[in-house]
Amino acid sequence: MKDMSKKTKILSAIILLIIIAGIIVIATKGFNFDLKYEKSQKVELYLQQNFEINDIKEITDEVMQGKQVIIQKVEVFEDTVSITATEITDEEKANLITKINEKYGTELSADTIEIENIPHTRARDIIMPYVLPFAIATVIILAYMAVRYHKLGSMKIILKTIGMNIVTQATLISLIAITRIPFGRLTIPMVLAVYLLTMVGLTAKFEKNLLNKKEEEKKDKG
Amino acid sequence: MRKIKILTITLIIVLITMVAFFGIYTHVQNRMENQVRDYSYAMDLDGSRTIRLKVSDENKTTVKDAEGNEVADSENLTDEQITQNGYTKEETPYNSDEVKTVENYRKSKEILEERFKELNVDNYIIKLDEETGDILVEITENDNTDSIVSNIGTPGKFEIVDSETQEVLMDNNDIKLVNVMYGSNSSSITSAGTAVYLNIEFTKEGRSKLEEISTNYTKVAEDSNTTTENTTANETTENTTEDSTTEESTEKTITMKIDDEEIMTTSFDEPLRTGKLQLSIGSSSTDTDTLNDYVNQANNMAVVLDTGNMPIKYDVDTNEYIKADITQNELQMAQYIMIGIAALALIILIIRYRTLGILGAISYIGLASIFLLVIRYANVVLSIEGIFGIAIVLILNYIFVNKFLNKLKENRKDLKKEEVKNANKETYKEFFIRIIPVIIMVVAFCFIQWVPISSFGMVMIWGIALIAAYNVIITNNLLKLKAKN
Repeated sequence: MKDMSKKTKILSAIILLIIIAGIIVIATKGFNFDLKYEKSQKVELYLQQNFEINDIKEITDEVMQGKQVIIQKVEVFEDTVSITATEITDEEKANLITKINEKYGTELSADTIEIENIPHTRARDIIMPYVLPFAIATVIILAYMAVRYHKLGSMKIILKTIGMNIVTQATLISLIAITRIPFGRLTIPMVLAVYLLTMVGLTAKFEKNLLNKKEEEKKDKG
Repeated sequence: MRKIKILTITLIIVLITMVAFFGIYTHVQNRMENQVRDYSYAMDLDGSRTIRLKVSDENKTTVKDAEGNEVADSENLTDEQITQNGYTKEETPYNSDEVKTVENYRKSKEILEERFKELNVDNYIIKLDEETGDILVEITENDNTDSIVSNIGTPGKFEIVDSETQEVLMDNNDIKLVNVMYGSNSSSITSAGTAVYLNIEFTKEGRSKLEEISTNYTKVAEDSNTTTENTTANETTENTTEDSTTEESTEKTITMKIDDEEIMTTSFDEPLRTGKLQLSIGSSSTDTDTLNDYVNQANNMAVVLDTGNMPIKYDVDTNEYIKADITQNELQMAQYIMIGIAALALIILIIRYRTLGILGAISYIGLASIFLLVIRYANVVLSIEGIFGIAIVLILNYIFVNKFLNKLKENRKDLKKEEVKNANKETYKEFFIRIIPVIIMVVAFCFIQWVPISSFGMVMIWGIALIAAYNVIITNNLLKLKAKN
């Protein structure tokens, strides 16, 4: 038991350190946003024919070495390609067009193709639509837990559930910030995974405690 | 006999698996076509309508009289008429430099978000360039997208002005809410049917203004006696003669404008004290399509007015459908990874529980296949969160099967049906009690409109229901067939 509490203390200290480090990273460097949500630039090239994403990828890899790029097909005929990168220089645009003209026999001109600026998406705009659903679900779960585990003390159960969720989510967000995992499309599934694990873990623990309590009561009655 | 039954169940599962993973192909016009329905994908996996809204740099032409008042119906005036009347033409930008501020850009974005919420847009991304004020919108592509796009750049400026002086009598600040109402019209044979109304409800202050306006701008009846009565309420018509034509011309009217476009010019029969104004959209009709059109028009107008006046006028610069950057190949790759992990987990199950493990694995594969078919035929829209939901369901089912088999492990060589029955009961109790919070969460998520959340909720709810039903029917019976009486 003594050993267990020592482990808990060490774990708590590690979590606390992660959260503090996370707060510092978020405050100083912010999140490393997924390119889809990051401030970026885009060019659209009308190829007049169907194309393979992989072929365009080869060209962008060659022209924009080392840069993360999003390649998308445009409109129903899929004969236009949209290339997005954090930054596209005029030279890169010209090279892209030259390579594409060579590959697809098009006569695209760098003068007529504009580099569009794509604004950044704020983290709060990504998260906001999920806040209300999570809040509704959490309130109902807390009500259920308070009723189901009332023998263990409803208020204690509610506070433990809220506290544990705050700690686990804060740890996750901090880890995302520290490890520079892109903040974007996979963030919500990660949040969901941690939320589910926390809730299932807490339920398992409360069930065990409830069983022990019931057994104790039985013994006392006996 | 038991072996035949096990073999039959196994073959059925193999068949379902083939259908779920490879499909059923038939000859359609010289090509093979899969008859199994495809998955419906959300915006993040399929594609979205991308609209760039640019801050308008267009100018508004206004014609003013010698006193500097704006002239009504100036669009119909020719340059000659303008000069003859001594009017002047002025070009003013829709968005002056004072208006182009970060605060106004942000407010416009917020209003846009409000509009999307009221229009029930189930998934969108709005990006604001705070330097230029340009807004980039990504919304789900469906039947309503065009109608939504046609309204997003609309400022939603509402005004009731004096038709003559152009004095603004009421504006957006007086509106409390705008909604759509229906009414049946059976009074006339020619216009029988349902009528669609735009109901504008005003604030307390707006209500008083409307009452005052409707008192001052009263209709002048053609009958001379009535006219005389009306004049008491309207000073401008005090000097009316018996000639009804002259009386009509002196009637004070108001003009209702939406985005500087004149919607109607009217006067009132009697003072309006309810603080509500109903505008009919189109005429009464019994045709469902026509009515739907009117309802859509009214709804869009209601949303635009209800969400307030956008401080900036935007022009739709680009409007195109862009496919998702996650390609079908990448989705297939994710599917193969999931199959690989599941295969590895099932091998562990077989090594751990031997024959029981094989039966558990067969049952598990059956559930996974049926689950993938259910998702397709239940019209569940798959987003990244939905795919994550599939993975969670497969993990939950693995936990269930493992728990079930674990309870039978000790007696696996001399297994009795009663033991399987009891193990099944215990597994159900233990498993479902532990996942009640998950069930609560996914049920709540099913009612949320935001597609990524509802996708996760729908996938999970079908998955959990399937785990509950399938394991009692298939896994339980498959293991019972292995047991002795």
